[in-house]
Amino acid sequence: MSLNELQRDALGEIFNIGVGRAAASLSQIVSDEVLLSAPEVMVVHREQAAKVLLGAELNQFSTVSQSFSGPFDAQAMLVFPESNALEIVRLMVGPHMSIEELSEFEQEAMCEIGNIILNACMSSLADIFHIRFESTLPLHRFGDTYNLPILDGDEEQMVLLLQVDMIISQQRIQGHILFLLSVPSMSALLDHIDRYLSSQGLA
Amino acid sequence: MTAGEFDGIDLGCVIDSLQVGIIILDSAQRIRHCNRWLTQRSGLSASAIDGKPLYEVFPEAQGSRLEQAVLHAIDDRLPSLLSPALHGTLLALYQTPGDRRHDRRMQQMIHVVPLSDKAQQGACLIQISDMTANISRERLLRQQTETLRRTTTQDALTGVANRRKFDDVLASEFHKAQRNQSQLALMIIDLDAFSRYNTHYGRERGDVCLSEIAAVLQDAVRPLGDLLARYAGDEFALILPGIDEREACRLAENLRLRVGTLGISNAASNTGYLTASIGVTVMQPSADADTHTLLSSADVALYQAKHEGRNRVVYFSAEDGSFKSYG
Repeated sequence: MSLNELQRDALGEIFNIGVGRAAASLSQIVSDEVLLSAPEVMVVHREQAAKVLLGAELNQFSTVSQSFSGPFDAQAMLVFPESNALEIVRLMVGPHMSIEELSEFEQEAMCEIGNIILNACMSSLADIFHIRFESTLPLHRFGDTYNLPILDGDEEQMVLLLQVDMIISQQRIQGHILFLLSVPSMSALLDHIDRYLSSQGLA
Repeated sequence: MTAGEFDGIDLGCVIDSLQVGIIILDSAQRIRHCNRWLTQRSGLSASAIDGKPLYEVFPEAQGSRLEQAVLHAIDDRLPSLLSPALHGTLLALYQTPGDRRHDRRMQQMIHVVPLSDKAQQGACLIQISDMTANISRERLLRQQTETLRRTTTQDALTGVANRRKFDDVLASEFHKAQRNQSQLALMIIDLDAFSRYNTHYGRERGDVCLSEIAAVLQDAVRPLGDLLARYAGDEFALILPGIDEREACRLAENLRLRVGTLGISNAASNTGYLTASIGVTVMQPSADADTHTLLSSADVALYQAKHEGRNRVVYFSAEDGSFKSYG
């Protein structure tokens, strides 16, 4: 299962509307400009997604996840290498903390940042497709690649993978957004994209 | 079973007994219900809250992230979390009337979740937890960690880094220089005839003198990147990443002059005042090199400076075994 060019462009645009809204919320919180962009969307298999993440230099990750359910179900995750996550929290919460002492306090902040970004992406999908999702509250975890949720679960799962670039205080921080979908959920998503494209006279 | 009951249990009573704040909004963002926890902490009566628009009761929430989260719950049916680290004291809620008088708001963690109430009366649930105790505990822990870190990495007498910190930083800078194929300079600064100074003037004067010299040296190094440490009794070591031989020797000569011009008299020295000998080395460490080579090169340079009559800077290159003297 893969995306054709039209589908990929449409999804890319929808998610960029989402991350744009998330950036506006984050900017408001820190009273400083936060920029977010998701330059590319890919559909890959679970193992490939893991490989992309493993390609990063460090294998300690911070993940914020939420499970969305509706016309299709998706487990959404915002994944940053641990040091990048700490940098985000440090820039947003204040420079007084050192990297070794990320406490519950900062973990909750990371959880909220993930919540804002993931909700924004999913509500952008929901707006454009005129559908609704329900979701669990966000969960934040630190872990290495061995206990990344992406590595276990259904063999058949597909992953919608977005690279995300965040710019706070002139610092560029990279991470990924992942949506894990079952094969039926993925085909339901593709149906929605096609319906949207044809309603726009594009397919 | 009537509304507000579950298996004969009065749910209103249950909600009033919860140790978190509960606000239930309808789809027009009017407060349909709040619990006792909330009336107590807000200082408002239930009649002043129920049925009112959220922002009339809590004007501070207007335009805040809470407003966005409420819209998200009502319009998009998505839940949000507002963390104390990013919002802290968003709502005017207080643990005690005394806190209210001094405007010391409680630290809050807020969850905003959509409700799927069939009767359409409740569209959104706001749940507020008091995080004040957690946050002051974390603050205390952080202060303690900071104090511990300082005491385990700082030399108690002079306030510069201690030997433990020096070893850590040297190892990490060495590794960095290996990875980036960059240069790393190291110098060892030894006070001339200092043991005789101590014997002559007493250990107390010696301690004062060490602190003074540490301050002078610290003043001359770059605040970021360089590390000055007390290496041994009367020896200081200085780690200088990304510096070449010329720069390192110029700085060493500057430090030697600074110590000399302090004009601390030392009757035990030939010059009549306190001076320093400095051994300098620079290397661009190869992948298989270790810090031992760097340390022993600086030692060899220092030994040569002493040998040549003290109060001077000597550079030693481990690459070709050559010495250069200054001063």
